[in-house]
Amino acid sequence: MKFPSSKESCASRGLGTAVPLAILVFSLVHGHAHSGATLAYIGPGAGFAFLGSFLSIVAGFFLTLASLLAWPFRMVWRMARSRRGFRHAQAHRAIFLGLDGLDPGLAERFMKEGRLPNLARLRAEGAYRRLRTTFPSLSPVAWSTFATGVNPAKHNIFDFLNRNLKTYIPELSSARVGRPSRVLSLGKLRIPLSRPPVTMGRKSVPFWKLLGEHNVGCTVIRVPITFPPEPFNGKLLSAMCTPDLRGTQGSFSFFSTALAAATYESGMRYPLKRNGSIVTGELEGPDDPLLEGAGALKVPFQIDFSGAQPRLKIDGQTHPLPAGEYTPWISLRFRASLGVTASGIVRFLLRQTTPEVELYATPVEIDPERPALPISHPAHYAVYLAKLFGAFATLGMAEDTWALNEGVIDEGAFLDQAWSIFSEREAQFREALDKTRRGVVACVFDTSDRVQHMFYRYLDGRGGPDGERYAGTIQKLYERMDALVGETLKQLDGDTVLFVLSDHGFCSFRRGINLNTWLLENGYLFLKDGRNQSGRYFEGVDWSRTRAYTVGLGGLYLNIAKREAQGIVKPGKEAEALKRELIARLTSLPDPATGETSIRDVYAASDLYQGPYLEHAPDLIVGYNDGFRTSWDAAVGKVTAEVFEDNQKAWSGDHCVDPTIVPGVLFSNRAIEAENPGIEDMAPTALDLFGVPAPAWMEGKSILAPRAAKGAAA
Amino acid sequence: MFGSNNIKLSPELWERIKRVSEAGGYSSPQEFVEHVLDRELKKLEDAESDADIVKKLQGLGYLD
Repeated sequence: MKFPSSKESCASRGLGTAVPLAILVFSLVHGHAHSGATLAYIGPGAGFAFLGSFLSIVAGFFLTLASLLAWPFRMVWRMARSRRGFRHAQAHRAIFLGLDGLDPGLAERFMKEGRLPNLARLRAEGAYRRLRTTFPSLSPVAWSTFATGVNPAKHNIFDFLNRNLKTYIPELSSARVGRPSRVLSLGKLRIPLSRPPVTMGRKSVPFWKLLGEHNVGCTVIRVPITFPPEPFNGKLLSAMCTPDLRGTQGSFSFFSTALAAATYESGMRYPLKRNGSIVTGELEGPDDPLLEGAGALKVPFQIDFSGAQPRLKIDGQTHPLPAGEYTPWISLRFRASLGVTASGIVRFLLRQTTPEVELYATPVEIDPERPALPISHPAHYAVYLAKLFGAFATLGMAEDTWALNEGVIDEGAFLDQAWSIFSEREAQFREALDKTRRGVVACVFDTSDRVQHMFYRYLDGRGGPDGERYAGTIQKLYERMDALVGETLKQLDGDTVLFVLSDHGFCSFRRGINLNTWLLENGYLFLKDGRNQSGRYFEGVDWSRTRAYTVGLGGLYLNIAKREAQGIVKPGKEAEALKRELIARLTSLPDPATGETSIRDVYAASDLYQGPYLEHAPDLIVGYNDGFRTSWDAAVGKVTAEVFEDNQKAWSGDHCVDPTIVPGVLFSNRAIEAENPGIEDMAPTALDLFGVPAPAWMEGKSILAPRAAKGAAA
Repeated sequence: MFGSNNIKLSPELWERIKRVSEAGGYSSPQEFVEHVLDRELKKLEDAESDADIVKKLQGLGYLD
């Protein structure tokens, strides 16, 4: 299955900085010119805000002119200041190459088998350690600790989800897009007069901001929990949990001539109409935020089968649509009222042509060339990258795992998608390395995490009839990551420090545990009307009698009086006693099917964390054993019939377990003094490299020996 | 449109804020003030609609 390649960047490299500068200037003007009609956010409840086209063009012109005129002075000023920033540096450049989820057990095994020569070389000539992860061992938590050097009670990210203390419903912990504060109502029209507020949920301060204050520039690419992008002295491309254009975390579309409309867990099925050799459909985008009750904005399309090859016609464009091959990113305009549009990008995959036509569309993502939401700092950095390389995935978790879970795409199509996104990231990473002679480049690749989530069953014998076909997928994944490390090593000089790290490891996810059901069966949770099962999001839960509940991926919460809106457990002694009781009863909980220990340990948050946001933490962190995880239903606050159930989804590997069994990896071309480094140590290490003192609130410690002698592996 | 969002605090209050924010593990007095205000405002504000919250979670790979 082929994938169209991104724009080549060779031309930009061959012409030094001239082409990227031209692209930058163009994108400043172009971006502002387009922003007049498309400067809008669309999402659940958020609505639009827009500037008049003319005002934006004028503003953009003068901004660009001022920027160009000031450029020589800013360059001189920057050079003078940056000399001061590097005065105490141990190196002039540091690279943090994040390979999300790279597991030390697998890495060590593959190195022993000779399959990872570059990582093996780094280990031999530099250093290697297993890297302690966070409690819980989730990417948003771990990468937030990586960035800030503090425990979750100081950066406020404990899970992908928080629960709303008024409604108990889970909400995204890392970012919040609110409603515009000022709206003009004219009949059914709702015209927002202000931007919807986009708030970062992660607190504390990332190391790149601190380095920037000392004139050490950083380029941060797709490090999780960087949406919305925060201003600092550097460049940043947002990552997890940037939404799609609909405001969700990724909703695919699946079209078929055979089927009626339907809803998937994370996507929608839409009908296609056939008329001779033409098949028509409509791609749904965001809801129309200007017209009350108008529903989703739609872009009609047709597939023309009359020629030698099917062609997709959409939004005034025509694209070849060969069966089994993804289209390139297609930029679309969703047109709302009053001439306002929002731009999104999407890929299509024609799965089948006979006897029925089946078409898959990726989530409609924010167009990096015309972002409807801030996805980079400075704002034009995303535009610049799009001009340089073409459109690229902007969604936080861009690899469409739910489409594979639902059987809408197969494993081959998922891998093609994942590796295409990897190639986009690689181009962005290389560009940053080329442009960064001094300072920091931090870039995270998600491919290693997503592929292990979806293909672990082929590693642990649950692959079924395709077992042999995909048995080597994870091994090839590690080999490709190793090749990336090899390419990066070629870029090193004696004055560059390289860290290759992961935020956690991986293990099997065979059995899901619904602790809400366990709590019901053991008298800690109650349902109304004598029910024994609930709906999602605690529908049917009797909070007046419930003392504990679970939602999200890592934790149990007590229903605390005056904390939760309907809390009944008194804080203090009663809550402490309940915590200890639950810890005692849940630790070593056996799986009745096998007798295997399903929960290794249960940790009280108050024992783990210290900081101002402890009140937002789950009261207990559950340390599931290898093979176990919170069940799909428990994670969304549902009570089901059984405590234990088989996990039968393609998502078959996970790391939301006891953090002590899923550490990450840390390789470096420098000696590492710390024997047992943790991910919280990376931020102070970054500061130490450039001679910037770590602030008192930062908890990690530099892993380097004090002013160690240089020992480059390059 | 041109209003300011700066607030003046008494020197005594500012000193107390600095002491407490440092002891509390905040990265700055600003973070502490924003946390306290956010906490108080949430008690007074309406919750976002359930449908909006739920829709924003759709598609997160770790959840059903």
